[in-house]
Amino acid sequence: MNVSKVIEIQDYSWKYINTRVPAIRGINLSIEEGSFVGVIGPNGAGKTTLAYSIDGLIPGQYNGVKKGTVKVFGKEVEEYAKGELQQLVGVVFSDPEAQFTAMTVEDELVFGMENIGLSLTEIKERLEWVTELTDLSHLLMKPPYEISGGQKQRVALAAVLSMRPKILVLDEPTSMLDPVSRERIFGVLAKLKEEENNTIIAIEHSLENLVPLADQMVLLSEGELILHDETQPFFQQSRLLLEKGVFPPGAMLFFHELREKGLYQGRYPLTVAEGVQLLRGLKG
Amino acid sequence: MAEDVKKDLTAEEIWTTEEGERRSIGVIHIVITALLIGIGFVVGAFGSISFPLGFGVNFFWTGIVVQQVGAIWFGAWGVIAGAVFPFFSNAIAGTPFYVSLAYIPANAIQAFLPAWVFRRFKLDPRLKSGKDYLYLFLTMVVSSILGALWSVLVVLKGFDLLTTDSVPLFIWGWFGGNVVAGLVFNFILMKALSGVVIRTTAFVKKWWA
Amino acid sequence: MNKTLLGYVPNESPIYAVHPFVKLYFLLVVSLFPMFVSAPDWNIILMVFIILLMWISKVNMSTLKIYVPVAISMGTIIFLSYTVMGGTHPEFELLARIWGINFYWERIRDALVVYFRVLPMIFTMVFFLSTSRERDIIVAMRSIKVPFVVTYVFAMALRSAGMVLEDFGIVRQAEQARGFDPAGKSIPYKIRQYVMYMVPLFALSLRRSEEFTNALVARGYAFTGKISRVKRADFILTHYTYKYFDYIFIALISISFILLLVFRYGYGNFQVDQSWLMGLLRSAVS
Repeated sequence: MNVSKVIEIQDYSWKYINTRVPAIRGINLSIEEGSFVGVIGPNGAGKTTLAYSIDGLIPGQYNGVKKGTVKVFGKEVEEYAKGELQQLVGVVFSDPEAQFTAMTVEDELVFGMENIGLSLTEIKERLEWVTELTDLSHLLMKPPYEISGGQKQRVALAAVLSMRPKILVLDEPTSMLDPVSRERIFGVLAKLKEEENNTIIAIEHSLENLVPLADQMVLLSEGELILHDETQPFFQQSRLLLEKGVFPPGAMLFFHELREKGLYQGRYPLTVAEGVQLLRGLKG
Repeated sequence: MAEDVKKDLTAEEIWTTEEGERRSIGVIHIVITALLIGIGFVVGAFGSISFPLGFGVNFFWTGIVVQQVGAIWFGAWGVIAGAVFPFFSNAIAGTPFYVSLAYIPANAIQAFLPAWVFRRFKLDPRLKSGKDYLYLFLTMVVSSILGALWSVLVVLKGFDLLTTDSVPLFIWGWFGGNVVAGLVFNFILMKALSGVVIRTTAFVKKWWA
Repeated sequence: MNKTLLGYVPNESPIYAVHPFVKLYFLLVVSLFPMFVSAPDWNIILMVFIILLMWISKVNMSTLKIYVPVAISMGTIIFLSYTVMGGTHPEFELLARIWGINFYWERIRDALVVYFRVLPMIFTMVFFLSTSRERDIIVAMRSIKVPFVVTYVFAMALRSAGMVLEDFGIVRQAEQARGFDPAGKSIPYKIRQYVMYMVPLFALSLRRSEEFTNALVARGYAFTGKISRVKRADFILTHYTYKYFDYIFIALISISFILLLVFRYGYGNFQVDQSWLMGLLRSAVS
């Protein structure tokens, strides 16, 4: 089956104005439709810059020097008219508080849909769909700044999803959340992956939740793309990941240590459950 | 993000669009206007409630800093915010609706004049020379005089809220309340933050972008 | 409870049955009434009427306590303006001369006229603010087709004001953690404190502007270009419909205003010399 490339980044570099060094440089990355890509890397690696570049926030809202191309659905991001790209690419930011400007959760969810000119009927339909997906029905009339952190991030996610973008970029969406809330967010993403076939790009530090969902992983470090592969082979290179300051999930790390000590030669499990299976197999 | 390179701009460069530089009105300007109104609302209400003379006239009106510094940094957007926010802060402080509405031109001129002076004479918002300080002070004085004259003569007398004999007190009250607060806050704020603001996309070189 | 701009009003308050536009209309029109009425009696009746409306709307009447100092200081200023700074007017009736200050009947009368003009205007504003949620004001503005960008800026400004107050609390705690405690200090010290708060407050707001802008742009909002001219569905208005009593209220407010003008300019009513309160006061002082 011929799967089209929805994002094509070629030789891309971006240097913010008044800085000496580009935030990202020489990036070559293609992402296919329907894939779930995890982007990881230490702080300052350029992950957010990459995320903003896909959505057109760079160079749209920032001054700087751009080299190379960033194409979404075959068209350079700068060629899209104002508001057009944002209908295709949705971004969820790490701080939900900074994304809320409406009086109620409902107004927040509806804002994007009104911006793109949807009719009342369409808005009502999508509102119902997205509130069910993100379990927000009971919060619609509440001010978004009076709900919990996990609920806020679900609102931020729902507000973007209501626009039904084909590509969803999440910039550390769970960085300010507790583990339970984090799981809920990833639960929504899992549902999206299964039911909607969205292309999802998730920048995350919490690999425990990300890894089971991701089809591919990207490692950025000091502005460069170090590694891009399918999830399983990606994490076979745990030594490289550790060198670059990225800590794989616990189960993986355990098996990596076993391999380093010559006690294990096989593939690394992506989850604790897989790890338990592997151990059972070894024991047997 | 990568570290900043400290290239020192001259006052002229701050206000001049570089060759090839494209500046346009954007969402950032709407956001800045809203944020300035919000800050001004809080800061202005503080002054109106803490040091009232009456009818929105205050002995020490802290809102002046948002009006004048906001307009210097953000041009027409700062002027709009500066004209509008006192309406809300006065309303909360108990000034009648139509009196607050009628103050808008006074507040607009208090915001506009410093913004115009800085652009016209290419002054440095970072206040690097004596000339920058002097012009800022003079523009604060002149704009507050104009604001006081409008507010007291046109508004307060127009609504018959004052006698002719008490007009000087209110003119001095409005003028003094603005200038004293401006002396306390404007210079410090501009010195502290102008260096950062001029490098942001929100900073307005002409009037709208 | 529902949070309004000046406090909280219970969910079961009848004021929420009224369309937000009616409240805005009330504010805009009734604020004008005192400007055409010189007789304090009528303005006092208007004031009492507004207080009654607040009571019916289940507004927490202690909200009014906030404005007691305002009313007192304003009354004092007006009184001083019309007496101490009233000047010398031989054509007026001198009631008393105390410490070289002339107290004229006409000045005192005019001061009372002005004071009782301003008070109902303030009460009208307080009534509006204490019964209107932020959303109500947005709906009222959208109902009269105020451009979306204006209503959105207003909504964002209100949100921003709330955030500035929160930031103020955080900055204050941070300063206090560093030993900067203004409690019991002099006014210049407190002013210095305020200056120290101002810089981080502005800095926080500037940083926030970038985040808000990204969030708005990411949700397809644009101020210029084709997308900015898209017809908005105004979903918020679907929650608010005009009922028959809204039209009745609007009609009553409008008719009252017209009648006021007719009686004022057609028949010369509502003048200060027709005021029984002034008559009573005149008798008392002469």
